[in-house]
Amino acid sequence: MNRLILQQGTTDLLQDFPHITEWVKLKVQHVQLNSFEVSSKTGIRVGLISEGKYDWSINGRGYTLYPGDVFLVFPWQEMGSPKGILEIGALTWIELKLSIFEPSGAFQLGSWSNIPESDQRVMGKIFSMNQNPVLAKFTVASVIFQGIEHELLQQEMGYRTRINHLLDELFITMVRHLSKTENFRRDFPQIFLKLEQTLRENLNHAWTVEEMAGLVGLGTSAFTEKVKGFTGFSPLHYLINLRITEAIKLLRQTNRSLTDIALSTGFYSSQHFSSTFKKLTGYTPRDYRKTQ
Amino acid sequence: MECILTVDINTSSVRIHAFDLTGQVLGMRKGSYPTFHPQADYSEQDPEQVFITTLYVLKNFLNEVIHPQKFKVKAICFCAAMHSVLAVDKNGRPLGNAIIWADNRGIKQAKLLKNSPHCTQIYEASGTPIHPMSPLIKIAWMSNEDPERFAQAYKFISLKEYVLLQLTGEYLLDQSIASSTGMFDIHQLKWHTKALEFAGITPDRLSTPVSIFFDEVGLKKEYSKSLGLASSTKLIIGSSDGCSATLGSGNIAAEKATITLASSGAVRVASKEILVDKSQRFFNYLLAEDYYISGGPTNNVGVVFDWFSQQFGNFDPRQDFEQVKAELLREAIQVSAGAKGLLFLPYLLGERAPIWNANARGVYFGLNITHGQKHLLRATVEGILFEVYSIGKLLAEHRNFSSISLTGSYASVPLFAQILTDIFGLPIHANTSVDNVALGTALIGLTGMNYFKNLNESSSNLPVTETYLPNAQNHDLYMRYFEIFERLSTKLEPDFELITALQ
Repeated sequence: MNRLILQQGTTDLLQDFPHITEWVKLKVQHVQLNSFEVSSKTGIRVGLISEGKYDWSINGRGYTLYPGDVFLVFPWQEMGSPKGILEIGALTWIELKLSIFEPSGAFQLGSWSNIPESDQRVMGKIFSMNQNPVLAKFTVASVIFQGIEHELLQQEMGYRTRINHLLDELFITMVRHLSKTENFRRDFPQIFLKLEQTLRENLNHAWTVEEMAGLVGLGTSAFTEKVKGFTGFSPLHYLINLRITEAIKLLRQTNRSLTDIALSTGFYSSQHFSSTFKKLTGYTPRDYRKTQ
Repeated sequence: MECILTVDINTSSVRIHAFDLTGQVLGMRKGSYPTFHPQADYSEQDPEQVFITTLYVLKNFLNEVIHPQKFKVKAICFCAAMHSVLAVDKNGRPLGNAIIWADNRGIKQAKLLKNSPHCTQIYEASGTPIHPMSPLIKIAWMSNEDPERFAQAYKFISLKEYVLLQLTGEYLLDQSIASSTGMFDIHQLKWHTKALEFAGITPDRLSTPVSIFFDEVGLKKEYSKSLGLASSTKLIIGSSDGCSATLGSGNIAAEKATITLASSGAVRVASKEILVDKSQRFFNYLLAEDYYISGGPTNNVGVVFDWFSQQFGNFDPRQDFEQVKAELLREAIQVSAGAKGLLFLPYLLGERAPIWNANARGVYFGLNITHGQKHLLRATVEGILFEVYSIGKLLAEHRNFSSISLTGSYASVPLFAQILTDIFGLPIHANTSVDNVALGTALIGLTGMNYFKNLNESSSNLPVTETYLPNAQNHDLYMRYFEIFERLSTKLEPDFELITALQ
């Protein structure tokens, strides 16, 4: 089949999947003018090149895509051909509307998904930090895309579950791929520095070890072991170290209230802040401020 | 049992050791902190983070190791990396991050001073080569490029002073760290007027340097209470990492050189006299009064081997980076000395001693069609060590040494130690059972408390765990390579500049 374009509202095939706004499979044999302008969409677009070579602009930067490459374009990003045309070749893409997806990393797939909320939070963080919209030679994606197409067209028993499973599978595979390629160099000090920067920028978030491990593409036990070896602290103790460091700065250099400082550096309450601070320094935050 | 703690505030972490009063290690804890690079030439650390990490590690170490065993802490002795600068306001509050040794933002100011008529005088008085690493240059940079922070700054201090300021409430600077600032007259033991002039400051904006044995100020009450330390616990100010490592490798009296191979490296000798070099290629730092540590630093040791391992090591993502490096080292042993006529200049980060050229770059020289990955690997290791030798060879023109002590993380890598031995043609000793910086710091503390008569005595009988002997045949071969290495490193100078301009 050379051409399959399913759009929400114009086909019955998508009526059980309100989150899928578009499913497109194209084999382009003749170049058409104005067929692929640079534009943004309301959903997240994931697509796979199977033949040909495409020079596109994604999020303001130029990329060349080859067969086996997957593109991943977020709702707030523009994508298209600067020449406005879709060159000869073959490609498939899907557009999905998610419940929540913001540049800050706020992320919720929707009720169709079986991925636990805590994993989705990590996904959102990893997506929001991703700088490269092209996953080169990401061949596993083609199997998933074939599966989705097959299930959509055949509608055999259980196809709704299967399709949503395949979508979950697609997201999990992409996220794992992103966090692994990011950290491919295995230079743990570098990886850890990036994690530290993320933690510092989001100190008020109640980080779990699972989330931190997910960000660097490791399992929790391997992550904990590596962090201990490298920093001398367990991940949560390292985090307390960062929280106190920031809190000291705010205590010394601002007049903000203790509660305000406690919450903005990630303590549950000013009591929690005071007791942790005193345990380490011997001063309560109030007394510490007075000595300055 | 009575013990002494050492606190080493180095580039990547704080390492705290406990020693008994004879210098035996009782335990160790570390905690790391990052270096930030907000711009390409910048290297900074967060002073509050360095302090909190130090306090945290100290507290955990005391609570989990020292107190449960009922060890009595007689003293805490400090040590730190050289060359850091932190501007603080009159309340001791940091104005921004600390600028550490690796920071190169002062290239312009360093050039300016190099071309000034005061250059020779300042170098000879301070013992610190004119280079962006030097606090002198960093403060001059701040006065020119960041005048607001410069004007607000009540004092310019090192990270070690900052940690001590938090713990004691006083500005405390030892003569050893002071001697690495580029502003301290190591002959007269006071701030050097011309250097301060170039930095744009008066002496009151620096602390008054004291002996490394200084112990007259104690911990603030709150800290000794929360750490569970007796009020009689002494704080001994101690020295710098380079000086402590030399002391801890046991060679401040004998005719020995100390080589440190870590992420960067250095070759050092100790003496009662300053080493005078017309070309200003060596540093002369003060370990203590009448003990000078002279030598040269290289930027390109472990960091270059790490680079090679990342780029050309096994790419199986399940493999740990340390495993990848170990595998490469095994492969490199299989290649015969000289890597089949392939030579490597390791200047990936520019170079300090002996060529002092920030524009120097890496070169593989002599590649032919039969060279494979393993030859590049072997040449990389040999090139790193030829560079270390080039510092040692220059030093040997000024000082006699008949053996070498090896320290740093690569001291326990037999391949590095053996190649270095063969290149130098001298026996090399290492004591890999102890961290030499920590041991040197403990010896300073113990000498300060009169457990030893002087530093000489404290370090005269230190154990050796490994000895390497040179292979004469390899030595001759390596000398033929080194001739080419040395020629290339100077001959390429104009081309280094051209290629850097394109990067």
